[in-house]
Amino acid sequence: MKLFLTHNIDTKDLHSIKVYKKQGGYGSLEKAFAKKPDEIVQMVKDSGLRGRGGAGFPTGLKWSFLAKDVFPRYLACNADESEPGTCKDRVLLQKNPHLLIEGMILCAYACQIETAYIYLRGEFYDLAEIMDKALEEAYEAGYLGANILGSGMNLEMYTHLGAGAYICGEESALLNSLEGMRGEPRLKPPFPAVEGLYGKPTVVNNVETLCAVVPIMNEGPEAYAAVGTEKSKGTKLVSVSGHVKKPGNYEIPMGLPTRDLIYDLAGGIRDDNELKAWIPGGSSVPMLPASLVDTPYDYEAIAAAGSMLGSGALIVMDHTTNVVEEALRLAGFYMHESCGKCTPCREGTRWLHQILSDIHLKKGKESNIALLEDICDNMSFKCFCPLGDAAVAPVISSIQNFREDYEELLNLAKAGTAS
Amino acid sequence: MFTFSESSEKQIEKIMKKYPVKRSAILPLLALAQRQDGYITPEAMVEIGKRIDCSPAYVQSVCSFYTMFYTKPVGKYVIQFCINISCHLLGCDDLLEYTANKLNIKVGETTADNKITLLKEECLAECSAAPVMRLNDTYHTNLTREKIDQILDSLD
Amino acid sequence: MDKEQVTLTIDGKTVTVPKGMVAVDAAKTVDIDIPVFCYHEKLGPFGCCRMCLVEVEKMPKLATACTLNVSQDMVIKTDTPKVKKGRNGVLEFTLLNHPLDCPVCDKGGECPLQDNTFEHGPDLTRMEYNRAHHDKATPLSPVITIDRERCIACQRCTRYSDIIEKDTALVMLNRGFHNEVGTFNNEPYDTRFSGNVVDICPVGALTNTQYRFKSRNWDLKNAESLCAHCACNCNIVIGTRQNRFMRVQAKSSENSVSNDFVDDGWICDKGRFGYQFLESKNRILDPRENGIGDSRAGVIETAKKVAASFKKIAEEHGPDSVGFLGSPFGTNEELYLYQKLFRLGLGTNNIDHKLYADSPGLPVDHYDMEDVESADLVLTIASDPTEELPILDLRLKKAVSSLGTKLAVLSDQQTLMDCFACHSLRYNVGSDGTVLQSLTDGLGKKGFKKNKGFETETGIESDAFKELIASLKKSTKVCVIYNPEKLTGDSVHILKSFLTALDKNSEGTCGAIPAAPATNALGAMDMGVLPDYYPGGIPVSNAAKIRELWGDSAPVTEGASASELIQKAESGELKALWIYRCNPLVDFPGGAKLEQALKKLDLLVVHDMLETETTRIAKVVLPSNGPGYDEGTTTNIGGRVQFRKRGIVTQNPADWKILGAMLKELDIESDYRDSFEVTSEIASTVPGYSEVNRKNLRKFGHQREKVSNPKVPESKGSSEKAPDKNALRLRVSNYLFAHDKILDASSSLAHHFQTSSIYIHEDDAKSLGLSSGAEVTIKSDWGEIKAEVQVNNRCNPGGALVPYISDEQGVASLLNPDGGPTWVTFKN
Repeated sequence: MKLFLTHNIDTKDLHSIKVYKKQGGYGSLEKAFAKKPDEIVQMVKDSGLRGRGGAGFPTGLKWSFLAKDVFPRYLACNADESEPGTCKDRVLLQKNPHLLIEGMILCAYACQIETAYIYLRGEFYDLAEIMDKALEEAYEAGYLGANILGSGMNLEMYTHLGAGAYICGEESALLNSLEGMRGEPRLKPPFPAVEGLYGKPTVVNNVETLCAVVPIMNEGPEAYAAVGTEKSKGTKLVSVSGHVKKPGNYEIPMGLPTRDLIYDLAGGIRDDNELKAWIPGGSSVPMLPASLVDTPYDYEAIAAAGSMLGSGALIVMDHTTNVVEEALRLAGFYMHESCGKCTPCREGTRWLHQILSDIHLKKGKESNIALLEDICDNMSFKCFCPLGDAAVAPVISSIQNFREDYEELLNLAKAGTAS
Repeated sequence: MFTFSESSEKQIEKIMKKYPVKRSAILPLLALAQRQDGYITPEAMVEIGKRIDCSPAYVQSVCSFYTMFYTKPVGKYVIQFCINISCHLLGCDDLLEYTANKLNIKVGETTADNKITLLKEECLAECSAAPVMRLNDTYHTNLTREKIDQILDSLD
Repeated sequence: MDKEQVTLTIDGKTVTVPKGMVAVDAAKTVDIDIPVFCYHEKLGPFGCCRMCLVEVEKMPKLATACTLNVSQDMVIKTDTPKVKKGRNGVLEFTLLNHPLDCPVCDKGGECPLQDNTFEHGPDLTRMEYNRAHHDKATPLSPVITIDRERCIACQRCTRYSDIIEKDTALVMLNRGFHNEVGTFNNEPYDTRFSGNVVDICPVGALTNTQYRFKSRNWDLKNAESLCAHCACNCNIVIGTRQNRFMRVQAKSSENSVSNDFVDDGWICDKGRFGYQFLESKNRILDPRENGIGDSRAGVIETAKKVAASFKKIAEEHGPDSVGFLGSPFGTNEELYLYQKLFRLGLGTNNIDHKLYADSPGLPVDHYDMEDVESADLVLTIASDPTEELPILDLRLKKAVSSLGTKLAVLSDQQTLMDCFACHSLRYNVGSDGTVLQSLTDGLGKKGFKKNKGFETETGIESDAFKELIASLKKSTKVCVIYNPEKLTGDSVHILKSFLTALDKNSEGTCGAIPAAPATNALGAMDMGVLPDYYPGGIPVSNAAKIRELWGDSAPVTEGASASELIQKAESGELKALWIYRCNPLVDFPGGAKLEQALKKLDLLVVHDMLETETTRIAKVVLPSNGPGYDEGTTTNIGGRVQFRKRGIVTQNPADWKILGAMLKELDIESDYRDSFEVTSEIASTVPGYSEVNRKNLRKFGHQREKVSNPKVPESKGSSEKAPDKNALRLRVSNYLFAHDKILDASSSLAHHFQTSSIYIHEDDAKSLGLSSGAEVTIKSDWGEIKAEVQVNNRCNPGGALVPYISDEQGVASLLNPDGGPTWVTFKN
């Protein structure tokens, strides 16, 4: 299998610049500086790379949307990894920080950016220390600062720690947070590419996305695009968690059957139990039944199956799971993480949690299911930002695909076995 | 009265240089104040407001948005126990209850000797090594009762 | 520059509006009402309440009409099943944890939440859990009550605090469902403009504490009137019930339409909560002679009798043995009639209303308040908008922070506007004449050269001064705002030369706003309540014009000014003085000597609305109705004439009626049936007011034409040396919430009252051995008062600021009665 991001991830001390350089690190810069910035943007477009944070928006296109001739511009790397089930960026940050720095330098060069921030979730304090050390090394080696490698390019790069708010993973909330405000999402338009950080054109990209720019530069967009499917190019780093024998982060070519991911790479279901449900892309996407496990793991196929690839976090549940309990857990999460700015999300997430709690405690009523569905309908696409839609996904998909789990609890309620 | 320590001041100097707008330094400054005192006092908010040209109310508004900031005293050690889906699937509830019982406190409380505060947390982004907790700045993964025993016993 | 127009369809109706307008406002133009909570035209799009969902062709999702910028050929539908379901759902969420305590809610009847629910909401709730509870009705401040259960987190109030008042004192705390509106550490939300949040709260979460449970709002009679606290003349709505005062609201889009020429829909807290004087026990209700009140003696009868006495004295001792001391607090009609009474009825120009030097008219355009928003540079001189003209403060902040206006502050004291200014120059107290002269010269051919003497005398660095001159020269529109009251000596005349120079030498256009803080300061000048000018700025020297307008008997010799009137009372030359809405015993320098002078008069008449120190010694006291009760026009700092409507009906005759009767008594034709007839007479006689009429006054008022601008006297400019090295030059500054007759001890703003203080510079503190907190006696040649020292560098070394904090403080007793500089020393 062709790997772009993790082929050497277990090299000892890869986080140090010495080892990283020995592995060919920072080699892409000379190549890049020989080209015009626009050519780099074109290469990224040609590679078919799409945002690995969750939305899957074509990266090169995003870069090309920057407001023309408006400077300064900013780059904000989204390292606010918080989507339940997702732990792939942390691997890159922890083990290969220079890959991210190199990717960010390429992006900054392509987009004529002179200041870049790495927004890490507050809990990643240890990773910020690793990152800061790597930045220090990169400055010392002349990859950051003024006139990088004599190219005339200047770039300052800093880490910035959040402080506990899932919503800051949403790009505009991230920018607000970075500007020292509450992490509430902004009105769009204007999009960050036009008015982003400090009102200036800004690129916001996920860690994995920016890292992927390095192999695209080194091996050419064609080599990257040769891996994967027609519309989902390259590889994806997938976090596999839950009821599998070998949970972990696996880099796979886009389009690998999910079955192979679960049963080969992740070693199959724990205790050789039966697969019951799986969430393909983190808590914000609909959960799918075992029957769809042959779905290829790529943007289009998963969408066709009724869910989304999201951040690439595969959460696996075996037959011992009552899906309602997991839906309740996620409802609690969205209630906790709703910023409270818009009414449907602030009120709806709490209401969903109240009803699911009742059902879970075997105090539910039959009418609850229809009510949950209607609340979800009233939230869907009516909230200020995608968090509201995300909150709805586990509830609606669990009702659609695992209604029997609800009915089991409702029947127990009817029988008067409240716990 | 709140004053930043000398070493904090050195860090502040570095922090302020990162941003073209002072207000951006609010989270780093709050974090710094918390590292100094364990939690963030109103006096610290006033001082931070002065540093970044914002009202104390603004500082409090931002501070109260982010869950990692404490505005009441916490223990020397703070345990953030992940309770989200991946950890839940692998039995974090049981482990959390086990920890609470062992510490003889409820979740959200601090031990009587002000040593340990036990909090439940949403996803800590270490899902493929679940169950997970964070003890101050350190992650502990693949938790079991035995591992928890070891960790708690090792705290001074 | 006209904005590009776009045409679109809303519910089948064709709408043409400027491109980029939000759909809510576009719909309003064709009477389609899209429900909103969080959207407010002055706060801009926000999109958090989700109430305004609409369907837009080619958009898959419902859109929020408050954030949707309309574009050409857009097709918007506000009435489809999808929209209805969406709104119904949003309202269900909004009401989910709302207490539904409408029967005991003050907002009931004027509540957008009620109205929107009535029209778009579910009739049943599916919520089966206990609603979230918060403490009911807790004080957010002494004047605002907060009920957090009712809050729907629309963030209007917190955005107001951030965007409009710009102090982020009121903020959202916590996150998600625990979001709540609050302040730092639960401190009171107590600012100069806090009350506006009550108006804009779309639910009953923020209510006016003094109005709570006083009335159902549908029982209120609402009068669209004007605030009379300062010269902004903000538009207010006075609510009364059974002819009793209930509350004041800003006139805004919430209840009517805001007057963007004046207040932009906001009022200050003094304007909102400072109206208890309407029911003050100190109101003068009956006429009184020799200290004996008589409710049976008619006001008109008494007035006529006194007018006849004045006439008799004038005949006996000559017309200049009587005088009139008016005030900038009366309406144009009242002031106009008074000057007419004294000039035509008694034949004297012994009329005045102020102690500072100033003359009517400007050598440049008179800018309206709204002009600060289109100016690219606003220069304030000796003005402290925050304390003197609060709404000007808000307008300047808006202009600076969102409209690209630059602000330059030239003052002898630190003000709250300084932090919004790009040029903030502080001159030494008393050096304004030199500063203005240098500014005038600097704009001319000579230019300004770095100059040590200038720096020593004014305390301003040459380079900063040069930069200001450069900015003035290259700006495309400069608006100069100056407070004549706080200029020393006659430097107001140098200021006018500066305006002329600016007009000549700047690349763009320029204009000015004379910003004396008293309610109708400009009107009083325009109405000729001056010893040397007839109405409309006609100097007494222009006899021909005066004869033409006022007839042959009109006096054309200069009369006595306010301070001269007092001197003449002392010398015995003046036999009778009529004081109208003025309290010289507190406001004039002179102390005990002043009281003796007034007591010497044969006849002292005071016509006022509240009892004062001066009414106590008057021989005759007549009741004046005053704001809330009276009707008439006032002219604000922008030259905008507006009609002040009555809120409360009173038995007492209106002042114009009293004046009409007195004029008649003195054989001057007067047959006014209402105040508008006086207004019409003003329109026909006063230059600049010819277009002021009933129709023009409706809605937004009318900006009067420029009044004539006679050539101003050459000024000497003065900068005097301190008599001894320990003396500091006194500057009295304003404080919005001073404890006076209007805001008395029973006022709900009493918590703002301050104690007597003096602000000095640390250099002086050091040399005088004073420190903050020291109790001192401040002494001048004329009097002394007690104060607490605050070393805060709010003025340059050599100066001493004393904020006027109460009538009892006795500041005026310190002042030099000649109008010259006042030097103070300290005694521990």
